[in-house]
Amino acid sequence: MRGALFVLSLAAMLAGCGAPQPAQDEAAKPRNAGDRGFAGVFVPIGSFEDPAGPPPFQNTRWPAKPPFTEWGAAESQRLKDPTSLKVCSPNGPVFFMSEVGIFPLEFLEAPDQIVILREASGMPRRIYMDGRGHPDDVEPSWMGHSIGHWEGESLFVDTIGLNGLARAMNGVGSNARVSEDDAKPRMPSSEQLHLVERMKLVANGELLEDELTINDPKAYTEPLILKHYFQRRPDIDMLEYYCNENPRDDSVVAGSKSK
Amino acid sequence: MRAFAVIVIAMLAAAAQSLAYAHHSFAAFDRNKKVVLVGVVKDFQWTNPHAWIQLEVQDAKGDKTEWGVECGSPNMMARTGWKKELLKPGDQVAVTVNPLLDGKPNGSLVSITLANGAVLGPGDAPPPKPLGSSSAR
Repeated sequence: MRGALFVLSLAAMLAGCGAPQPAQDEAAKPRNAGDRGFAGVFVPIGSFEDPAGPPPFQNTRWPAKPPFTEWGAAESQRLKDPTSLKVCSPNGPVFFMSEVGIFPLEFLEAPDQIVILREASGMPRRIYMDGRGHPDDVEPSWMGHSIGHWEGESLFVDTIGLNGLARAMNGVGSNARVSEDDAKPRMPSSEQLHLVERMKLVANGELLEDELTINDPKAYTEPLILKHYFQRRPDIDMLEYYCNENPRDDSVVAGSKSK
Repeated sequence: MRAFAVIVIAMLAAAAQSLAYAHHSFAAFDRNKKVVLVGVVKDFQWTNPHAWIQLEVQDAKGDKTEWGVECGSPNMMARTGWKKELLKPGDQVAVTVNPLLDGKPNGSLVSITLANGAVLGPGDAPPPKPLGSSSAR
């Protein structure tokens, strides 16, 4: 038996000699998101009562006086009215990555893709990691077209192709006043939104930091830069959420009288 | 009567807890007003985006009013101890709500005291964990 194993091993070695493989630098081999610690469930830090979260890793708050263009200022006013909201309209990528800690996110890995799920959102963010660029004729969509690449331990994600119909980037577009942030101006985004993100792990790998650079020349005269943090929570399972199952509160959303 | 007073005190304590909603505007509710309702569950709708309790409340004259009580979403509720089976038609409960501004019998749940004395809120974010308490990658 041992002899047979030896013969097999020898045959394998000889076969290897017959077909030499190109030398591969181990360090240069691509590693997946899971190896880098990006896969799994994360909960956004912060709460309605304390949107920034505890120091030292605090979410950047939206500016009190945003650098609006004329269109941006008018759109911000329009979004203050709860009746401007389409019931159950999707969030868009910025709100997806910047809400405080109610709904967890889950980073999943597929071949040549990183997919981010958000419990409150039926639509995932899909980040192509296969080296492709954005299409020249990108089709406008709610979450846009995202491509990503690694630089060291940081994941860079570039997103364009938004349809400009998402909710305000800083929330539900209501005057509910559940958070101090709800008193701040609504932050619209347009089809010109170009979002650049740098994601990396901090706090000994326990937090994921997402630095969002928001370029939207239709709405803002200069880029907006925010940092948001997500805590790794392997103790939490993702659950379901579906906006339109029993929409009794449509009347509230639409601003008409309650049933 | 004493038991009821205890329930009300427990509920007022629970009412001090903060709310966490994300779905939509709650501007229709009076956040500064709390109403305590004691009644019988007629229906419990364990549904998205929000669960609802239909509660039959009898006043001193014996007149009955059906209240709609809006809760959080089932995912947020499940993370704070709720289950679909917790409420059944016929259960006697006491709830604290922020009522609608327009005076209609409809409120946003602040807290509920079940027949067994358990007190629950409207659902909330995952319970926070201090940094350093969960292992890194």
